[in-house]
Amino acid sequence: MTESRLKKVLQSGNFAVTAECGPPKGADPEVIKSKGKILKDYVDSVNVTDNQTGVVRLCSLAACALLKAEGLDPVLQMVTRDRNRIALQSDVLGASALGIRNILCLSGDHQSFGNQPQAKGVFDIDSIQFVQTVRTMRDAGEVIGGDKLTEPPHLFIGAAANPFADPFKYRAARLATKVDAGAEFIQTQCIYNLDRFKQWMDLVRDSGLDSKVYILGGITPLKSARMAEYMAKNVAGMDVPEEIINRMKSVPAKEQRQEGVKIAVETVQALQAIKGVHGVHIMAIEWEDVVQQIVQEAKLFPRPQV
Amino acid sequence: MITAERKPISEIKEMIAPYKKILVVGCGSCVAECASGGEKEVGLLASALRMDSKASGKDVEIKEMTLDRQCVYEFIDQLTDVVDQYDVILSLGCGAGVQAVAEVFPKVHIVPALNTTFIGQTKEAGLWIENCRGCGDCKLGFFAAVCPVTRCAKGLFNGPCGGSKTDRCEVDPDVPCAWQLIVSRLEDMGRLDLLCKVHPPADWSKQQGKGPRKIYREDQRS
Amino acid sequence: MDQKNAGLNISIFFCQQIDPNQDVNRRALERELGNRIRFFPLPCSGRIDSLHLMRALESGADKVYVITCPEGACHYREGNMRARKRVAYTQGLIEEIGLEGERLELIMAPAGLPVNIDELARDLLSREATTGPSPVRGKTA
Repeated sequence: MTESRLKKVLQSGNFAVTAECGPPKGADPEVIKSKGKILKDYVDSVNVTDNQTGVVRLCSLAACALLKAEGLDPVLQMVTRDRNRIALQSDVLGASALGIRNILCLSGDHQSFGNQPQAKGVFDIDSIQFVQTVRTMRDAGEVIGGDKLTEPPHLFIGAAANPFADPFKYRAARLATKVDAGAEFIQTQCIYNLDRFKQWMDLVRDSGLDSKVYILGGITPLKSARMAEYMAKNVAGMDVPEEIINRMKSVPAKEQRQEGVKIAVETVQALQAIKGVHGVHIMAIEWEDVVQQIVQEAKLFPRPQV
Repeated sequence: MITAERKPISEIKEMIAPYKKILVVGCGSCVAECASGGEKEVGLLASALRMDSKASGKDVEIKEMTLDRQCVYEFIDQLTDVVDQYDVILSLGCGAGVQAVAEVFPKVHIVPALNTTFIGQTKEAGLWIENCRGCGDCKLGFFAAVCPVTRCAKGLFNGPCGGSKTDRCEVDPDVPCAWQLIVSRLEDMGRLDLLCKVHPPADWSKQQGKGPRKIYREDQRS
Repeated sequence: MDQKNAGLNISIFFCQQIDPNQDVNRRALERELGNRIRFFPLPCSGRIDSLHLMRALESGADKVYVITCPEGACHYREGNMRARKRVAYTQGLIEEIGLEGERLELIMAPAGLPVNIDELARDLLSREATTGPSPVRGKTA
């Protein structure tokens, strides 16, 4: 039985690199396969988003299966917005059966943001309850309610964290709850405000959480000054400092992409120096090829043999 | 209280169009409190409908009456002596009231003038806000009396979500983030310990899925 | 044609603070126009209720005025603002049954009270009639 590459990389003390792959708004598997090919040797694992922002896309489970067949180590992102506990637990078993070895348990963006605003948001359980559910399925071989499974799922369990949302003081306590629930790795919201992130890491280390969970800092390379401004104003839970926006603006439009990549590489290098940060999660949706450049320039290529 | 809002008059007119003798019945409880179905609102609606009939040359009789409550037999009974004089009852009760009256007078056509909306409070004069979803398993004691089922758009029991910034909900900036409220209140009370353990999944079967719920009390039965 | 000569029924709700002598001052017009004009003094325009306006229209008024004290001069501070909101609400309600919202009109009395209600009313009557007899009057107008 295969093991999670992400888990092996982290357990062996290496600085892990994961990236994100956005499935298409359509049924063509080739899109996924070609993204997989671009990312394959540059990252340890690839997250597949789950109907992100409530827009209907090829489901994460199928996309992960396609990536697995291409030889990658996928991270199945699963939101509780769209499925009740029966479907969630069932999909967890299915994912494991398909050889998927990593899961990221999320609540999900609210359905009002997407192209199905009239849909019923399920939210039968929340992300933390979901983490606990997967953990119990794996380690106790039980579903919610206690019924026994004939074969437990084999999954490395992750959750998301947002060091930039409010209330700030409580965020470390919330992380502790996620870890207690069973989270083994964390991928954070993308980081532009390094100072604030460092403050959060201080809180995390003070609570001793850095030795209990692997934290991967999130990075999203900026494509333009307009993107920076948009994210600062319109994306919930995002912190884009003025200096970053100004830095992007100070460069002519044609060069802004490269400036965004520069900022991303600098951030990766900064993360490598922060105690308690065990890796980086690069979210370059619809710009997957830039991952190669970032990983190379941050001197994280080639990926280690584990 | 249960809140409701008056339907557009065009919709109401369509429902009462086939009738000549209409009794507009209000309710003095919840809908009076939220200014949609009380005695005054009955007066306004009846007046509007009478003027509309006159203006279109229709010969229609529209009378008014308000019960203390429309959901309790003892009050509904007050209609017994008058109900035969009318073809239709235009009820300004909430959905519960409309149906309760219909059960007492199954042969009488009753139509609703209101859209029943939610269980909530009068936050200020003229402002009503939903605060309870009737989940049947109240957990307000764990969440500093801020209901996560109702006031968190994602119904999280272990919130906040990653979209919560400057204490507003990511879905609607006019709505405060319930979880910010819960955390700050628990902090003020010195009870953040209530958030240490993972709050388990809810039993939704207490709220929905099995058809209409009921409460049966042997000691209250006559 | 002005409202007086168009033969319209006019109802005037007004704040008593505008003219403390209103009970005397309004008699001339009441004699002249009979039941084509009706005066409703209020202790404050804020006491106006949508129901009063609806009943006035229902009983055959073609035009209903609500006269409040000038901005900032309400004896009870916000009465005139409340009157404005209620007139607006009632306008919406009558528009739903196809009556023109302008059959209800809020007027602020000129600054420098008191003012003679007779003068005020005559001024309103001399205005151009923008709406005809109310359809609520039915076929027997």
